[in-house]
Amino acid sequence: MLPKFSYARPDTLRAALALLDERNARIHGGGTDLLGCLRDRVFAADTVVSLGAIAELRGVAATADGGLRLGAMTPIVEIADSGLVAERYGALADAARVVASPQLRNQGTIAGNLCQKPRCWYYRGDFHCLRKGGELCYAYDGENRFHCIFGGDMCYIVHPSDTAPALAALGAVCRVTGPSATRSVPVAALHVPPSVDPHRETVLETDEVITDIILPAPPAGLRSSYRKVRARASWDFALAGVALALVFDGDVVTSARVFLSGAAPIPWRAAGVEAAVTGRKLDPEIIAAAAGASVAGAEPLAGNNYKIELFKGLVAEQLEAMAQS
Amino acid sequence: MTDRHDYHVNGPLPETPDNDATAGAWPKTTVIGSRRSRVDAYERVSGTAVYPHDVSLPGMLHGAILRCPHAHAKVLSIDTTAAEKMAGVHAVITRATPGTDIPWYERGGTFSSTLFDATCRYAGEEVAAVAAETPLQAADAVRAIEVTYEVLPFVIDDAEALAPGAPAVHDGGNMVGEPRLRERGDLAAGFGEADAVVERTYRTECQIHAPMEPHGSVARWDGNRLTVWDSTQGVFPVQETLARVFALPMSNIRVIGHYMGGGFGAKLETGKYTVMAAIMARMTARPVKIFLPREDCFTATGNRPANTMTIKIGARSDGTLTAIDYHSLGAAGAYAYGADTSSLAVYLYRCPNLRAEDVTVYTNAGKARPMRAPGFPQGAWALEQAMNELAAKVGIDPIAFRLQNLATELQSDPPMPYTSYQLAACLENGAAAFGWQEAAERRVTEGDIRRGVGAAACFWGYAGGPPSTVVVKLFADGSANLNLGASDIGTGTKTWAAMIVAEELGVPVDRIQVENADTATGQYATPSGGSKTVPSDSPAVLAAAAAVKRQLLGFAAEQLEVEPGDLEIRDGEVVSRSDGEKHLAVTAVEMLGRRGLIMGTGYRDPNPEGSVTFPCAAQFCEVEVDTRTGEIRILRFLGAHDSGRVLNRLTFDNQVFGGMAMGIGLGVTEERVLDRRTGRMVNANFHDYKVPTILDVADSHACLAIDVPDEAFNSTGTKGLGEPATIPTAAAIANAVADALGIRVTAAPLTPRAILEAVGSQGKEA
Repeated sequence: MLPKFSYARPDTLRAALALLDERNARIHGGGTDLLGCLRDRVFAADTVVSLGAIAELRGVAATADGGLRLGAMTPIVEIADSGLVAERYGALADAARVVASPQLRNQGTIAGNLCQKPRCWYYRGDFHCLRKGGELCYAYDGENRFHCIFGGDMCYIVHPSDTAPALAALGAVCRVTGPSATRSVPVAALHVPPSVDPHRETVLETDEVITDIILPAPPAGLRSSYRKVRARASWDFALAGVALALVFDGDVVTSARVFLSGAAPIPWRAAGVEAAVTGRKLDPEIIAAAAGASVAGAEPLAGNNYKIELFKGLVAEQLEAMAQS
Repeated sequence: MTDRHDYHVNGPLPETPDNDATAGAWPKTTVIGSRRSRVDAYERVSGTAVYPHDVSLPGMLHGAILRCPHAHAKVLSIDTTAAEKMAGVHAVITRATPGTDIPWYERGGTFSSTLFDATCRYAGEEVAAVAAETPLQAADAVRAIEVTYEVLPFVIDDAEALAPGAPAVHDGGNMVGEPRLRERGDLAAGFGEADAVVERTYRTECQIHAPMEPHGSVARWDGNRLTVWDSTQGVFPVQETLARVFALPMSNIRVIGHYMGGGFGAKLETGKYTVMAAIMARMTARPVKIFLPREDCFTATGNRPANTMTIKIGARSDGTLTAIDYHSLGAAGAYAYGADTSSLAVYLYRCPNLRAEDVTVYTNAGKARPMRAPGFPQGAWALEQAMNELAAKVGIDPIAFRLQNLATELQSDPPMPYTSYQLAACLENGAAAFGWQEAAERRVTEGDIRRGVGAAACFWGYAGGPPSTVVVKLFADGSANLNLGASDIGTGTKTWAAMIVAEELGVPVDRIQVENADTATGQYATPSGGSKTVPSDSPAVLAAAAAVKRQLLGFAAEQLEVEPGDLEIRDGEVVSRSDGEKHLAVTAVEMLGRRGLIMGTGYRDPNPEGSVTFPCAAQFCEVEVDTRTGEIRILRFLGAHDSGRVLNRLTFDNQVFGGMAMGIGLGVTEERVLDRRTGRMVNANFHDYKVPTILDVADSHACLAIDVPDEAFNSTGTKGLGEPATIPTAAAIANAVADALGIRVTAAPLTPRAILEAVGSQGKEA
C-alpha cells in the first residue's frame, strides 16, 4: 500500500541536507501531499526526511526592511490568520484562507503548497501518463474540464497552488539551501513549464530545501487580492483564480503584477492584463480590455472552453473590486 | 424460498395474533414528537460504538481484493505463485479455487455472473482476493498477482450501448429486460387539447452513494458456524445469502450489524467481499476482515445511474394538464438493478393522457444499485422543471399550477385512494413558511449577480408494511429492553423505537436498552431502505410495548381489585382512572417481581387493502447565480414534508437537511467521471468526486413537518422520510437557477462550467 521507506526527523537543516543526499529521498513538510502520492504510487521514496523538528523553518516575522519572512514550514493556517500578512499582503491572506480545507490548512505548509504535485486525475490515478514517464497525456483527448488553457505542451496539468500566484504577484522570493550553496529563487521563477521539462514541477534539485519565503516591503499604494472559483466551496482546487498586485498613484495604476491559477501548468503571468492596466485608471473600458487580455492566446481543450469566459469574468470582477476598494 | 424484494416480502402474510388495536391511540403525547438526541449519541461521538470497521479479533487476518483494470476483458490466466510466497500471506483465492464458483447478481430468478467471473464487465470487477497478517501485506500481495487479460471492446455511454454493433456487455444485447411502458388515455388527443406544450430533454449524471463507513465485513468460523460483522442495511438477507452460499442452515450463520456507518442503498445487497472473507476465514481457520479501500467503494459498490429523460407535456390555457409523454434511458452499468425514473411523471399530477417508457441498458461501468429514492430525484429533475416551464407558458404561478393539477388519488386502473396525502399542505404551508411571494419579489434577472426562487414537489412510492417482529421486556425494576431486527443506518431508528416504548409504558428513554440488527438474538425485520423502517417497524414496537402493558395492567388490576380497563400508567405508577386512591408503583406490581420480567411480542399488521400510502413533500429554495463565474450560492432551503406522524422531531429535521445536502450533490456538485479511452473512473476519491461540504449547502435551511398522523395506514400513523427528503431538492435548485437566469440548464450537475456554457450559448442566440 505504502512503499517501504526509512523515515528521519533531523533537528538541524545540515542533518536534513545530508539525508537528502541519499538516493531517492523525499522531503516531508506537512505530508498532506507526500503521503497521498506515496499511497497512490505516483512516485516511490527510499527515505522520507521530515523537516518538522527544525524550529528555524517556522514562523511569520517582519524583516528589517519592512518586508516579511515566512518560514518554509509555517502551516498555511498561520499565514491565513496572521495580522501582519493581512495588513500588508492581502493577496497572500486571501489565498491562504481558500487553500483546501481547515484540516489541510492546519497540516499543510507554505513551502509544501508551492511544491505540490499536480492534481490531474490521470497523473494521480492508475494511468502511466507522460509526466510519470509514460508516452502520452491522457487528458489531452480525455476528461479535461479541469485542465489548462495556457502553457500546455505534451502535458496539460494546471498548477494546483493558490499561494503561488499570490506570492508571485507580490514579488516573493524563496531562499533555497542545497548541499553546498544557498540561492534565491523568485516564486515567479520557481515552477517549470512542460515545454521545458514535463517531468518536474519546480527548478529545485532533490537535495535542495526551501528555507524561507521573503516578501519585499509593500510599496506605497499597493493593493493586492486573490480570488478563486471552484466547483465545490471548500476542499477544492481552482477552476480559475487570479492574484492581483497593483500599485496605485491616486487612482492610476503605476505598476501591476497579475498571476492566474487554474490556467496553466505553472502560475501563469497574465502579462496582457498587466499591460492593459498599467498607467491607466481602472475605468470600465480598461477593465473590459484587461479581462479580454487575460485570455488572449488561450488554447482551450475540448472540455474546458468555459474557462475563457470564466477568466474574463473573474478578472473583470476583481479589477472592479480593486477600483472600488 | 419466499419471494423477496429489497425492502419487503411479496405475497400474503400470516395474521398477527396479539396486537392490541387500541395501542398508540395516544390522546396526547409527551415523548413522541419531541426533540430527542439519539440514544446512542454518546457512543457514536465518543468512539465507543463498535462499527464493523472497528472489529478486531485475536488472530484476525486482513483481506484485499484484486480488481480488473479494464472496462471489459476476459481473464485468460492468473498466476498467484509470487503472491502466495510473500511474507504474511495465508490465502489467495481466484476463480480456480474450489468453492468459489458461486452464482452472483440475481435478476428475475437467474444469475448473470459468479463470485469471480471469467469475464470482467467493468473496471473494478473482482478477480482475486488475498488474506494476510496485515492490511499492507494483503494489498502488496494483491499487486503481485499476475493476470493475463484478453482486453475486449467496451461501451460506457448509455446511448451508444443501444447502437447497432455496440460491444455486448452480456450475451443477448445491451437492453436490460423489456422497456417498461405505462399508458393511459389517448396521448394524441391530449396534446390536441393542449394550448401550451413544452418538450425538452433532461440529463442527470451518475451519483455515488459514498457512505462514511466503507463497505466491509469481518468473518469468523467456529466449526461450521459462521459469525459475520457486516456494515449492512439489513442483517437477515446477508444471513440468507451466506446460508445459500455455504449450504448451511440459517441457524449456523450469525450476522451482526449493531452499528453501521451509512449505506444509502449501496448496502442492501450482500457484498462479494463478505463471501470472500468467509471463504478465506474457513481456509485459514482464522477470522478475516475485508474492508474496501475508498476507491473501490466509488467504483464497485453501486451508484445512482445516469439518466436521459425526454418529456413532452401539455396544458390547456386554464392550466389543466392534458398530456404527458415521457421517455427515460438509464445506464445501469454491468450488472443491472434497473434505472427507471417515470413514476413521478405517471402519478404526481392528474393527467388523463399519458405514455411513459423506461429503458435500461447495460454498460461496461460500475453497477447501478438502489440509491436513496431510486429513479425519483432523476424523474423530479425532468418533470418538475417541465412543470415550471409549462406554468410560465400558461402564465400561472408554479405553486398554484401544481396545486391545480395535483393528483388526489393514485391514477391506477382502477384508481386507488391515498390513505393520507398532504401534498397540497406541503405546497401551500411550505410556500407560506418559506415566504414564496416575498422571495419571488426579490428576484433579480439583470446584472452579474442574479437571484431566483424555485420549488419542486414529490411523493415517494413506497411506505413499507409487514413483516416485522419486535420484543419488549419490562424488568422488575421498571426498566426495559427493546429488541428489534432493523439496522439503524444513521437515521435514528433505535431512538424513535425507544421513544415509542417510553410513550406507551411510561419508562424513561434512558432506562430502555435497545438491541438491534443481530440475526442470532434479534427479531426479524426487512432491511432498512425504501424509507420504510419507521412505518414498517414502529407499529411492531408499539404492539410489543402494548402487549407488555396489557399484562402489567392485568397483574395490577388483580392486586388493586379493579378492572384492567380502568388502569393507566402515569409517571411510573399504575393508576385507577375512576378512583385516585388506587394506585401502585410499577415496581410494586407483585407478579412482575415474581416473574422477573414481562415480555411482549409485537407484529406488524398488514397494510389496509384498497388504498395506497405515499409520503410526499415540497421543497423551496432561493439562490444567487454569478453569471460571470458560474457560481451558485444556495441562500435558503425549506422542506415541507408529510411523513405522517413525527416520532422524533430532531432526527426528522436532520433527515430532511441530510436529504437536501445529498440532493445538492446531485444537482450541483457530484458526478462520476469515466475516462472514455479506458472506461476507468478518474474521480474515485473524495477530492475529485465532490460531495457537498458544509459551505455548499444552503446558508439557512428549515423543515416544516406536516405532522398529520396517517391513522388509516398503520397504528403509529407514520410514513417514511429518508427518501422524499432528497427527491425534489435538485429540481428545486434547477428551477431557482432558471428563475434567476431566464434560461434552463437541463443537465445536472449545475457546475460553474454548466452555468457558463448555458449563459454563453444564450449570449450567442441573442
